[in-house]
Amino acid sequence: MSTYTLQKAIRNINRRPDARTEFESAPEAFAARYELSAAEKSALLARDYGALYRLGVHGLLLRPFSLLRAVPEADYLAAIRRDA
Amino acid sequence: MSIAFACAVSHAPGIVAWRDAAPVEQRDRLYAGLESLRARLAAAHLDELVLFTCEHWTNFFLDHISPFCIGRADKYVGPVEPWLKIAKTEIAGDPELATAMLEHCYANDLEPGFAFEMELDHGTIIPLHFLAPDFKLPIVPVMFNTLAAPQPSVRRAFALGRALGEVIRRSPRRIGVIATGGMSHDPGERNHGAIDEALDREFLAAMSAGDVERITRWTTHEFAAAGAGTIELLAWVALAGALGRFRGEVVAYEPVRPWATGMGLMWLEEHGS
Repeated sequence: MSTYTLQKAIRNINRRPDARTEFESAPEAFAARYELSAAEKSALLARDYGALYRLGVHGLLLRPFSLLRAVPEADYLAAIRRDA
Repeated sequence: MSIAFACAVSHAPGIVAWRDAAPVEQRDRLYAGLESLRARLAAAHLDELVLFTCEHWTNFFLDHISPFCIGRADKYVGPVEPWLKIAKTEIAGDPELATAMLEHCYANDLEPGFAFEMELDHGTIIPLHFLAPDFKLPIVPVMFNTLAAPQPSVRRAFALGRALGEVIRRSPRRIGVIATGGMSHDPGERNHGAIDEALDREFLAAMSAGDVERITRWTTHEFAAAGAGTIELLAWVALAGALGRFRGEVVAYEPVRPWATGMGLMWLEEHGS
């Protein structure tokens, strides 16, 4: 169920301007609204795309999340393919 | 009345947002193909459009997933993506047609979900941007869950299309159907960039021939094996169901590596259904 919550947090950042703003300006406060494991929280706050992928975040949530920071495709793919 | 216009198109966002990343020859052939579909759609003098479409966590989320979801809103807004390079637009809906579709489905042992509010992402906006660029035709979006397993079976997508085709055909209005999604691609996943050209071409051949027996022998699992996004071919399968007896013409097919998608454009017409 926890992966569900992590994906919900990322989906909210992608889709809701208010959530996106809070994640940018007060990431700890944003993350505290969600019941995340320590690994999930740290991967989210670090925008560790590889870790988020391995935790089970869907590619169509994760790639748009990375696009918010204009992460180049090659960098994104290198991150999610690490330890494949 | 027969279905007044039908086509199937891929909707990789690169075709707008990263257009210059693609080889110019491929891009030009796809833009020419889209232009020919736009002209055919215009010549059909449609009253409205039904879209068999897929989405990307815009409306569907894991708190509630329907296998199919018919839009009953009187208007829609999209695209939701700020990076798509298409201005946000309002598009009229047709809740009356949507309700007729639902009633017909439920009377025939099919139970799609429905929604009175939906936002549109590139999956629906890109085909409209190219094919009905003034966004003036009212639409009924029929969303397919291609995201979260288990996704609908090919046979079920075909049956849904068949039922919706019956409603479209008996309407006095001139209704076109656009299926959008696919072809093979694995967006955002580890095999992002991989294109299964053999599957794409075999699927296009079956659609061209109106070979319903072959089309409905594919499985959702086989689509998924060619990349998560390939499951969006369920929308094309539903179009085959809607059309009854039909043939198709491949307007363009280009495996566009920089857009990470097998880009297919097909025009279809009924004959003697």
